[in-house]
Amino acid sequence: MSSFLQEITEGKIDYSGQALVDLISKVTLSAAGIAAFCAGFALQDLRITFGIIGLAVVTLTLLVVPPWPIFRRHPVKWLPAAKAKAE
Amino acid sequence: MHSIFSRINNGSAFLSSCMMALLAAIALSSFLFTANAEGDLSISSIKVVSSNARRYPNKKQDLAFINFNITADLSPLFHWNTKQLFLYLEAEYVNKQGVKNEVVIWDRIIRRKEDAFVKFVGKNKYMFRDISSSFKGVPPANYSLKYNIMPYVGVLQYGEAARTTKEVAFPEPQSRL
Repeated sequence: MSSFLQEITEGKIDYSGQALVDLISKVTLSAAGIAAFCAGFALQDLRITFGIIGLAVVTLTLLVVPPWPIFRRHPVKWLPAAKAKAE
Repeated sequence: MHSIFSRINNGSAFLSSCMMALLAAIALSSFLFTANAEGDLSISSIKVVSSNARRYPNKKQDLAFINFNITADLSPLFHWNTKQLFLYLEAEYVNKQGVKNEVVIWDRIIRRKEDAFVKFVGKNKYMFRDISSSFKGVPPANYSLKYNIMPYVGVLQYGEAARTTKEVAFPEPQSRL
């Protein structure tokens, strides 16, 4: 039970999942920032700018923070345990 | 990025960098808007009244009372980064000691573009007096209508909407209004 709770709260993902998360968050935030500036400038409204940023942040949190299965597809393969040395 | 906490930490760190860049871009973008406000200012009458100074019953103090008309269209100054405008009427004169004075005698805060067409007839809101307590011998003054553009993000910008074409002389003080 405690290990299950730890799993839930820790939300570990594997190495390629981490790389994917990094890429997704950087691309999303940069693109959202540029899009927010352009949309706000075009429509002359700062609320649109910060609305777009806020939406992007909420979506990104949902997308990236929980340990979705897509981030756990490449678990680390450990070598088989070496035989204990002969006594 | 292995755990939930480190993902939140990394994401918010990059978000704050993006936010700073975005705010800087918004602040810089307000320099692209170079529209000027057009306006007209005329001084209809000016009176100088010699009255008792506050707190000093035996001291005389000249107060200037100025009636003026303002028409100004400040709506071009409203863009996406304009929070509000501060519009003020300034009296500019050189006093007897040769010091250049700029005195704000009237002001108004404009919060919306719909209120940006200003048509005002009235008198000064703030007491106008010289530090030497007399306007005698003070050369004629200029009056100008100036504004500050207060942004949501970025720096305050200054501008001038109108100015009196002729200098206005201070009349002789009268004993009552």
